[in-house]
Amino acid sequence: MTLLLGICVAVIFAVSVYLMLSRELKSVAMGVFLFSHAAHLGILAMSGQPVLPGGVVKGAPVLGTSPNGIHVDPLPQALILTSIVISFAIMAFLLTLLVTTFRTTRTLNVDRLSEEDRPESMSHSVSREVTA
Amino acid sequence: MPDMSLLLAVFAPVIAGLATMLLPKSAVTARVLTMLAGPLASAGIVLAWIAQYGLEAGPVAIPFAPSLNMSLAMNVDQLGGFFALLVSVIGALIVLYARGYFGRDEESLWRFYPTLGLFATAMLGVVLADSFLGMFLFWELTSVSSFLLIGWYREDPKSLKLALQALCTTGMGGLVLLGGLMTLGAATGEWSFSALSAPISQMPGVDAGLLTVAFFLMFIGGAAKSAQWPLHFWLPGAMAAPTPVSAYLHSATMVKAGVYLFARLYPTMRELEWWTPTLVFFGATTMLIGGYLALRSDGLKRIFAYTTVSQLGLLTCAYGIGGTNYAHDDHTIANIIWPITQILNHAVYKAPLFIIAGAIIHLTHQTNLSQLKGLWRTHRHLALIGILAAYAMAGLPLTLSFTAKEAFLYQIAHALKTTPLFWGVMVMAVLTAICNVAIFVRITRTFFADAGAAEHHRDTERADAHHEIHEHGFWASCIWWPAAAILAVQFLGGIVPSAFEAIFGSLETHKLYWDHLPSLIYAITHPELPLYMSGLAIAGGLALGFSDLLRRPIEDVHNALFPATYGSTESFGHSVFARLQNGNLRFYTVATLSALLIGVFAAMWFGDGSMLKWPSIAPLSYAPVPYILAGVLLTVLICASALILPLVQIRAVRVLVLGSCGFAVMGMYLVYQAPDLALTQMMFEIISVVLFMLALRLLPEEPKKHPRIPAMPRAVFASLVGCVMAWVVLHAGSVADQSAIAAYEQSQKETELAGIGYGTVLAAAPESGDDHGHTEAKLVASDSTRLGGWFLNNSYKGTTPDSGGRGGGGDNVVNVILVDFRGYDTVGEITVLAITLMGVLALLGAVPAPRDLAEGNPTLINGPQPHLRSVLLRTAMKLILPVSLLFAGYIFFKGHNEPGGGFIAGLIASVGLAAYRMSEGGQALQRLIPLTPGAMGAIGLLIALATGLIPMLMGMPFFTSGQGYIPLPGADAPFHWTSVMFFDLGVFIVVIAVSVGMINRFEEELE
Repeated sequence: MTLLLGICVAVIFAVSVYLMLSRELKSVAMGVFLFSHAAHLGILAMSGQPVLPGGVVKGAPVLGTSPNGIHVDPLPQALILTSIVISFAIMAFLLTLLVTTFRTTRTLNVDRLSEEDRPESMSHSVSREVTA
Repeated sequence: MPDMSLLLAVFAPVIAGLATMLLPKSAVTARVLTMLAGPLASAGIVLAWIAQYGLEAGPVAIPFAPSLNMSLAMNVDQLGGFFALLVSVIGALIVLYARGYFGRDEESLWRFYPTLGLFATAMLGVVLADSFLGMFLFWELTSVSSFLLIGWYREDPKSLKLALQALCTTGMGGLVLLGGLMTLGAATGEWSFSALSAPISQMPGVDAGLLTVAFFLMFIGGAAKSAQWPLHFWLPGAMAAPTPVSAYLHSATMVKAGVYLFARLYPTMRELEWWTPTLVFFGATTMLIGGYLALRSDGLKRIFAYTTVSQLGLLTCAYGIGGTNYAHDDHTIANIIWPITQILNHAVYKAPLFIIAGAIIHLTHQTNLSQLKGLWRTHRHLALIGILAAYAMAGLPLTLSFTAKEAFLYQIAHALKTTPLFWGVMVMAVLTAICNVAIFVRITRTFFADAGAAEHHRDTERADAHHEIHEHGFWASCIWWPAAAILAVQFLGGIVPSAFEAIFGSLETHKLYWDHLPSLIYAITHPELPLYMSGLAIAGGLALGFSDLLRRPIEDVHNALFPATYGSTESFGHSVFARLQNGNLRFYTVATLSALLIGVFAAMWFGDGSMLKWPSIAPLSYAPVPYILAGVLLTVLICASALILPLVQIRAVRVLVLGSCGFAVMGMYLVYQAPDLALTQMMFEIISVVLFMLALRLLPEEPKKHPRIPAMPRAVFASLVGCVMAWVVLHAGSVADQSAIAAYEQSQKETELAGIGYGTVLAAAPESGDDHGHTEAKLVASDSTRLGGWFLNNSYKGTTPDSGGRGGGGDNVVNVILVDFRGYDTVGEITVLAITLMGVLALLGAVPAPRDLAEGNPTLINGPQPHLRSVLLRTAMKLILPVSLLFAGYIFFKGHNEPGGGFIAGLIASVGLAAYRMSEGGQALQRLIPLTPGAMGAIGLLIALATGLIPMLMGMPFFTSGQGYIPLPGADAPFHWTSVMFFDLGVFIVVIAVSVGMINRFEEELE
């Protein structure tokens, strides 16, 4: 099981980094979104394999539900739950930034953004819009 | 309750300074008197303290951050008491002088006194603090207040630059000093000056190497503050300040902080091997360079600034020579003579010099010595006091200064018996004295000169007219009489040494074998080498003063030191910044991930080697076949959907592929026995896909053909990152696997020993814990050494000793962790959510779609118009919304004991509401929920916070949870409530506000 998680983590991280290195900001956003999946699975691996020697399966971390009284580690799950919520917030904000970036600069091309719009000029144009 | 009176003495000036700010601006006299009370109170308290406890009482402990080895302990000994009186008495005179200097300029006085009070407090803190770190805090505060005062003329860029130069130099020195004090603390294990014993190197358990490091660091810190070569350049630059500041900070008190530090360390560190060479070399060099540059300067304040540098060098040198021993009669003693008097001597001639310089500049508007010819004619009292003070500076007979110079020469003469190298110091001392005498001669000649007097007279008349605007009388005379008052001490010490000793003798630390000062009479009646050297210096100085040699002013080469250092640091920073912050996102990604890779590789390489081996994860074969099948299938799904993603070009399909990957991850959560995660993931995946779709429709289609980035290097780098991360994950997982298996096998062995099967124990364990029909299955054969085991054991009821018998009152451990054990984190989390919502709303509101984008581009508005909405969807929605809300309520209430909770319930409700919004439009949603998303988020946050705050009102810690049972009529079991339910309600509301609010906002953009 842990091995399977390892494979998933490797593939998702690789694809996510590949996307983050692309020229188009929408692909970058998707890469960031995938990145959180890989991170969650990585944290999940730290709760250990849910199966013990002899085919004993651990129960969910809800007391009283496990037939054999053994539960998986609840802490990584709590951490992941927090992280899912936060990564949702990050994704929503990222998408908003994409929309406003496109409206201000008319491009989502990473290279063109870095050539034309240094941080200073970007903030200028935004503040111009705000005041207007 | 420790005696706080010394603390009051330290803080009295700043309190008085702040009090003056409460007075109306026009109340000038009241302002002066209020401010005057501050330093006078300090002086009074210190004197009363000495009268009551003497100078050997030891420190008063005032605890302050003891875990940081810090305290506000104050100690009045001879050194501290002397400096405290010096600072407060001269401070009081400067308060009066500032009144004369600024006249009735209300704005200046209003600003000046609080800053001056801050400085006086800082300086008193430095000299009275006993703890290393307490002293350091005050030390830095003097740098800050000095910065504020040097940059007094805020409109003048040059004065700001000089203020920055002083702050950087003394501030950096302060940081080095901090390093030195920390090292000293680490080397000795003591954190206060009074705990050090002499000699320090023989204290038990002291590391000699560390001690040397500490000494050098502290020397650099003190040298920067006391303007020792080559860091002296900031002090002449600090003359940009108003003259009261120059007279007080930059001659009499603050610049002595470094000397104070050497004096403080002297008794304990003088035997260090490096003490004498370091202090003597830098001190003597500073002394000579300062004297020479003073001779070659023309600006009045500049001349006095360089003589201050010179005198500070002499003081440092004197403490350095004090590291040698002098054999006297049958015993050896430390070779240092009347050092406190040396320090006092400088203060009582330099402060008057600056005061008079300020008065002259103020009244004549001339800053250079060469322009002051004939001053004697126009301002006789100023010229007289100036000449007398310069006479004292030159160390001529019948002044305290003469005696002090004799004492210094005696020290050198004694040191000559240890090594002839001190002849170099003797030559330097005589050369410096020649410079000082020559400066005195030149000042006197200029003041009495005739040439240019007529022209000068015109200037002064104009200046007098300017002064007429102010006033005459007592307050105006404050511009000169404090100088006379301070100068009186000089001539008291020179003419009546016995009276001087009676007053100041008790504060002297090292009187040596003399029971009296080496005064003029003593020197003449006991002619020795020092007297001849003094004579030589006076003769040489007179000759030089009357000649035209070394007359032309020159620039101090060290002035380029700071701008050059500052400039090169700045340009280096710029070039690094330009290289690293180049604005290219891909560069940032590669740089960050490369750093990560390097870090992991380094950990593998330098670690214990276990990271290089294949991780010992639990084998897959343990699991039953259905498990293996599910796991493998999900892995294939996850990997396949991830790998397809970069290949797909149509954006709607890409979002769906992204969604499918998320759903497969959800399946993995189920396999890993995480129902809460699976539920949350599913709901968030739905909302995310919707949001993604909405956002993509606000963005342009990808251009049909855009130049592709070469895929190969990208793919290789990405694969490398993926593999390294997976390797780390496998190793982390193997730790968990191994410890779980070990704990399991251990528990099995124990049950076998007890003669019963593993299952039996667990079956027997459940006990009926309470009267409310709740069966507890509390025996958890999980690895209790891990943190997760602790949470399992205490989730319902505190079972481990450290829990204090308090549990979370819930069976769903993940939920209990989120809302109870780690409630703080969850508050932070929902705050982040709410802030994100605000950010999204604000950004979209601030950057509306440009008109041409909104109208011209059909791809941006190709969403379904209201009249096109599906009838089927609208009909279904009528049913789905109530069902989803009902289901959300159910999940919410059972969440504490079964999978569910506020997050998941909020998401389920959000999905229903979002679908409703999409089919019925924004107005319908508004009718349903009349609150704006922002208000709703705020309400949710407030509910969550109130749950935490209410226990505080009842005297319990923040977020203490409570629980109980409410009998339900007609139900079998009573309703079990916990206070965290209200917290969960807050979470629920915030989640709905954020997810529905965002989707609603994006929809609005599209319409």
